[in-house]
Amino acid sequence: MRRGFKRTKFRTYPSGWFFTGLMACFFLFCGLTHSFENQKPTPYTLRYPANFGGRYTIPEDNPITKEGVYLGRLLFYEKKLSAGNSISCESCHLQKLAFTDGKALSQGADGSLTTRSAMSLANLLWVRNFFWDGRSPNLEQQAAFPLTNVHEMGQPLTESVAKLRQTALYPPLFKAAFGSDIITRDYILKALAQFERTLISSDSRYDRYLAGTYPPTAQELRGMALFQNAPNPQKLIRGANCEHCHGGVKTFKELFHNNGLDSTFSDNGRQNFTNQVEDKGRFRVPTLRNIMLTAPYMHDGRFQRIEQVLDHYNEHILESATLSSFLRDVSNETNGKKLMLTKSEKTDIISFLSMLTDSAFITNPEFSNPHLTLKSQ
Amino acid sequence: MSRFTLHVRISLWLLLFSLGLSVSGFSQNTSTLTITGEVTTPLDLTLQKLSAFKQVSQKVKDRDGKEHEFKGVALIELLEKAGVTTGSKLRGENLAKYVLIKAADGYEVIYSLAEIDPEFASQVIILAIEKDGQPLPAGEGPFRIITPNDKKPARWIREVRSIKVAFAKD
Ligand code: HEC
Ligand code: HEC
Repeated sequence: MRRGFKRTKFRTYPSGWFFTGLMACFFLFCGLTHSFENQKPTPYTLRYPANFGGRYTIPEDNPITKEGVYLGRLLFYEKKLSAGNSISCESCHLQKLAFTDGKALSQGADGSLTTRSAMSLANLLWVRNFFWDGRSPNLEQQAAFPLTNVHEMGQPLTESVAKLRQTALYPPLFKAAFGSDIITRDYILKALAQFERTLISSDSRYDRYLAGTYPPTAQELRGMALFQNAPNPQKLIRGANCEHCHGGVKTFKELFHNNGLDSTFSDNGRQNFTNQVEDKGRFRVPTLRNIMLTAPYMHDGRFQRIEQVLDHYNEHILESATLSSFLRDVSNETNGKKLMLTKSEKTDIISFLSMLTDSAFITNPEFSNPHLTLKSQ
Repeated sequence: MSRFTLHVRISLWLLLFSLGLSVSGFSQNTSTLTITGEVTTPLDLTLQKLSAFKQVSQKVKDRDGKEHEFKGVALIELLEKAGVTTGSKLRGENLAKYVLIKAADGYEVIYSLAEIDPEFASQVIILAIEKDGQPLPAGEGPFRIITPNDKKPARWIREVRSIKVAFAKD
C-alpha cells in the first residue's frame, strides 16, 4: 500500500498528476470555503477625474464591492430576469450605443412598446433623480421598474428570485457578494445598482482637452464657445446657451425643464410625479455624454439626427406656460425671438458634441456581457 | 326639453367650464413651500399663509440690468417661525448649519445660517412674492429669494420649493 502510494506519487506520471490535481482541488476547496465564509467582499475603487466632483451618495447598506459589481454585471445581461427569458437590461441598453438601443421607443418582453425612450447609462453615480421625470431617488429602487414593468421585462421579482435560485451559477455569487447564498429581491437590486455605479464615462476627447492632453481643432473650439456662451448681441458675443442646462464637466446638471418641444403635452413629464402644474412638460436635462451615439433624441425619441436637435433649439421652440425662461427670447440678434445661429455655427456645435464620444467607455471589457466569456471557458 | 331648460343647461355648463378655467388659472396660488430639517416646527407655506407675515420690500437691480421692487417676507422671520436656532442661539455648533434652498427645476443654492441672520449680516434676505406690485410670473415665482448684497444674482433662486436647514457633517 505504502509502496504503491510512493509509486503513484513519485514515479507513475499520470497518477502523479491525479494526486497533484486532488491536492489542488483540496486546497482550492479550502480556499473557496474560506473566502466565502470568512472573507468580506473586496471594496471596489471608483475611478473618475477630480473635476467630476464627489457629490454622490452610495447607500450605506450597499457599498460597492468587486464581487457585487461582477454579480450585477451578470444580472444586467441576464434574460432569466424577464418574462419568458426573452430579454435583459441589455436589450434596451447596449454598451456599443452608450447603453441606449437606437430606437425611439423600445420593445418589452410582451412585445409592447415603452412609453419613453431608453436612456443612456453613463455617470449614473452622480444622478439623484432617475428617469426622464426624476421619479426614482436611487438605483436600487430604479431597477425594480424595468424588471417588473409589463412594457419592459415584465416579471415579478419573486419569480426572478425563484429562477435564479434554481441555477448553479448564482447562489455562490450572491454569497460572495452579500454573505448569503439565499437569493433575495433586495440583493438583485443592490447588485444591479453596484454595477451601474461603475459605468463611468470620463475619457472622451473633451476630458482629454480638460486634462490638457488633447488640443481641440479650431472648429471644436468654436463649437465649445457657442455651446457655453449665452448670446449677447450688444457685446457681440455669439452663443447657443446650451451650457445653461447641459453644462459642467459632466455635461449634466440635475435640472428639469420644458425645452419647448410641444405646446400641448401627451406626456406631462415631471408633473406626473410632483402633481404641480408648473412642472407640466418638464423633463430631466439628460447628459450629453456620448450624444452622437445615442440617437434618436428626447424623451420620446422624436429626433433621428442631431441636426434636427440643433434646428429645434434654433428655430422651433414652442411656446407654452411652462416653457423654460432660459429658452424664451434668447437671441443672437438684438430683439430677436429665435436663437439665429448660422448653419456653420450649428455644425460647429455638433463638432463639439462629437468631442463627448468616449470610445473607451463603449469598448471597456468590464462593462461587456460576462456570460459570453463564461460560456467560452 | 323646452328651449328654456336647454338654455339654462348650456349656461350652467358654461359656468362650470369657466369655473374650471379659473381654477386652473389660479392653481399657482396653491403652490407650497416647505421648511424642514433642523427645525422645531416644519412649515408648509402657501401664498396665503405668507401674507400673514410682516411684508418687507427691496429695490434691487435684477439680471435684466433694471431696478425692480421685490416684496415679500424676510427669510429670517420664516426660519424663526419654524424654530431654527437664530439670534442668541446662533453660536457654537449651530454656526455649522447651512440652509439648502431648492427650486422646482432642481436648481439648488446654499446659504450659511449666519448669513441670513441680521445679527451677523447687514442685509435682509427676502422670500419675494411680488415684483413691481405684481405676483411673480411663472418661471420666476410664486416664491423667489432676493439677496441684495450678492452682486451676481445666481443665488436669487427662482421658483423656490423647499428650504432645508442642516448641519454640515464632515
Ligand atoms: C424594454 C426596454 C428596457 C429594458 C429591458 C430596460 N430598460 Fe432601462 N430604461 C428604459 C426606458 C424606456 C427608460 C426611460 C424610462 C422613463 O424615463 O420613464 C429607461 C431608463 C433607465 C434608467 C434611468 C437612467 C437615468 O439617467 O435616469 C436606468 C438606470 C435603467 N433604465 C436601468 C435599467 C436596468 C438596470 C435594466 C435591467 C434590470 C433596464 N434598465 C432594462 C428601457 C428599458
Ligand atoms: C432650458 C434648458 C435647456 C437648454 C438651454 C438646452 N437644453 Fe437640451 N435638453 C433640455 C431638456 C429638458 C432635454 C430633455 C427634453 C425632453 O426629452 O423632453 C434636453 C435634451 C437635449 C438633447 C437630447 C438628449 C437625449 O439624450 O435624447 C440634446 C442632444 C440637447 N438637449 C442638446 C442641446 C443643445 C445642443 C443645446 C444648445 C443649443 C441645448 N440642448 C440647450 C434642456 C435644455
